[in-house]
Amino acid sequence: MAVEQEHFVHLARPLAPSSFAAGSAPLTVNLQPQAIFSVVDHAVRRDIRDTQSTRVIGALVGTRSEDGSEVEVRSTFAIPHTENEDQVEVDVEYQKNMLALTLKASPRETLLGWYTTSHELNSFSALIQNFFASPETGTFPHPAVHLTISTEPGAPIETKTYISAPVAVSADRAAESCLFIEVPHKLLFTDAERAALGSATAAATTESRSAPVVSDIESLTQSLETLSGLLERVSGYVGEVLDEERDGSHALGQYLMNALSLAPKVSPTQIEHDFNNHIQDVLMVSYLANTIRTQIDLAQRLATAPLASGFEAGPGKDGKDGEEGGGKQQDGGAGGRGGRGGRGRGGRGGGRGGGQHREPREPRENGE
Amino acid sequence: MAVDAQKDAPFKSAQVESLVVMKIVKHCSSSFPTTATGSLVGMDSNGVIEITNAFPFPTVDVSSTDGHQSDASALAAAAPRAKANTVYQNEMIRHLKEVNVDANNVGWYTSATMGNFVNLGFIENQYHYQRDNDKTVALVHDVSRSSQGTLSLRAFRLSPEFMAAYKEGKFTTESLQKSKLTFRDVVVEVPVIVHNSHLLTSFLHQIPAPPEEPEMPLPASVDDIQRQPAQLPAHPSFDTLDLSIDPFLEKTCDLLLDSIEAHYSDLNNHQYYQRQLTREQFKISQWQAKRKAENAARLAAKQAPLPEDEWQRLFKLPQEPSRLEGMLNARQVEQYSKQVDGFTATITSKMFAVRGNLLPE
Repeated sequence: MAVEQEHFVHLARPLAPSSFAAGSAPLTVNLQPQAIFSVVDHAVRRDIRDTQSTRVIGALVGTRSEDGSEVEVRSTFAIPHTENEDQVEVDVEYQKNMLALTLKASPRETLLGWYTTSHELNSFSALIQNFFASPETGTFPHPAVHLTISTEPGAPIETKTYISAPVAVSADRAAESCLFIEVPHKLLFTDAERAALGSATAAATTESRSAPVVSDIESLTQSLETLSGLLERVSGYVGEVLDEERDGSHALGQYLMNALSLAPKVSPTQIEHDFNNHIQDVLMVSYLANTIRTQIDLAQRLATAPLASGFEAGPGKDGKDGEEGGGKQQDGGAGGRGGRGGRGRGGRGGGRGGGQHREPREPRENGE
Repeated sequence: MAVDAQKDAPFKSAQVESLVVMKIVKHCSSSFPTTATGSLVGMDSNGVIEITNAFPFPTVDVSSTDGHQSDASALAAAAPRAKANTVYQNEMIRHLKEVNVDANNVGWYTSATMGNFVNLGFIENQYHYQRDNDKTVALVHDVSRSSQGTLSLRAFRLSPEFMAAYKEGKFTTESLQKSKLTFRDVVVEVPVIVHNSHLLTSFLHQIPAPPEEPEMPLPASVDDIQRQPAQLPAHPSFDTLDLSIDPFLEKTCDLLLDSIEAHYSDLNNHQYYQRQLTREQFKISQWQAKRKAENAARLAAKQAPLPEDEWQRLFKLPQEPSRLEGMLNARQVEQYSKQVDGFTATITSKMFAVRGNLLPE
């Protein structure tokens, strides 16, 4: 499901390296929310002590479709780097190790490119881009994806994705220049992530930026409240149109009619019947689950309850004394207890059809 | 002393960054139905465990060998306490430290289906972590329940009493009676709080982007509406209004049956043990009576009596099976029934709502 998609005109990219065919094919970048989350997290954890740079960089990891026309950014990792007026330093060793570690945990993913936290594209960007696109250390023959996320305080967070083509005035400047070409991207998430995003959004709407994970029933309440709010709004709009306070729209009217006609036409008795059936199913399972819980709870309690003194502690200790009378008494006691315990369990087993279970118990015992 | 006491006090809640939530959800749902496990890093401050980052443990590719899904699950479930992964974890944390991520391990996470996570493996993993560092937590993400619309992320730790009992490794009836440990005390649930950074908060307010003008232009045709459907915010989600009942009930019944099965085999073990014990004790007393009679005869014949404690060598009392499995099973069943209660509450209200809608008074 895409939440954010811009309209994009696809033109064949100019100046694509001619050494591979996929170079000029359209490319779409799918971003997964946790990738952006971790870039944002990295931006917050930026080290400002010994570097003049206002941005951080890191690598993008994810999957690439077979024809290379679509890439999916699944995770990222940060790379330490320092930057000042005339030079940029990227910890290549760190990048290599971290990539190996990341790929170990998710072997199906590959290096896709890199990200940075400002929209500025400068010669350092080109340098790093060429590093990530190079055959030895990068994504060659696929283009390296460059993702920029603006993290200016007070401004909306924007994401842009680029790929690059080599361009240079002379051969010796080739390493630090390249042509960035913007490619479309969208934010993708699955149903399971939608739930996670929901709780993150819930936390985002509170003052303290945090929210507890709510139970099912609470989230149902919230959903129902929002839903009834939305319905209220629609009926308010319809009412206003009917009272001629507002201009109606044929399209909206038609859309609402379509939606209303989706309501199933079922006879009331049928509904009543289905409803009763289902509600009985639900209540039955709930009842059974609770019964089972009570029984097992009881079993646990009976198993460890000190029913009669001296049984559990009995055999071992008294046996050591080796006194005949004591031993005999203990044995008698133990037998009695064992028998009682057994009966108690059998009775409980009988409560849920133990008659059947009693049969298989015997062969099992012999087998052991 | 006061500082020490504060240090030893168990933490009250686990504060999880949204990043961690997303990472866990992603990892768990992409490897579903195989179990997924990973490590958590963060720090502990003022009784709150802040979990600020997470990374998955390496998966062992079993498909190349004789691929079986349960093998992969078992391997993944055992991953947190595997030696190789401890090395991996330390290496990863060392690398994360360089980019200013909190470099303390604060626990691990695992995926679950319908709350079926209370088992020996879970206990062992958490024991493995909690033994070294008391302030660790196990996050459990329930993939099946999260797909119903509400995030199910729970944090657990082992209770100190259980830790002590597990350390000794003794779960006999006798020791349980003495320690008064019941299945309710095995794991303690810690409330989970989701937290965002400022920057992330502003990002979250952008998806989906709010309409630019308060008054939208009216659409020209139905196609217009369909082409650009309204973007609903992720919270509160309307997925929770889904009316599917059967898959949930079916799965729950399956799991309950499994638990009953486990309960029976546990019961059988104990009954077997008890019968065995009675039989052995009967034999011992017979032997003792015989020896006594023999000794009396020897005494009469003025011979030296035979030792009466030889039976300890001749007979061996059976070992009492551990009560741990039974306890965990009981805890698991309790978990299921609570889950069903919760489900019943939501589904009945939804069903009454539907009936009220379809059958106007």
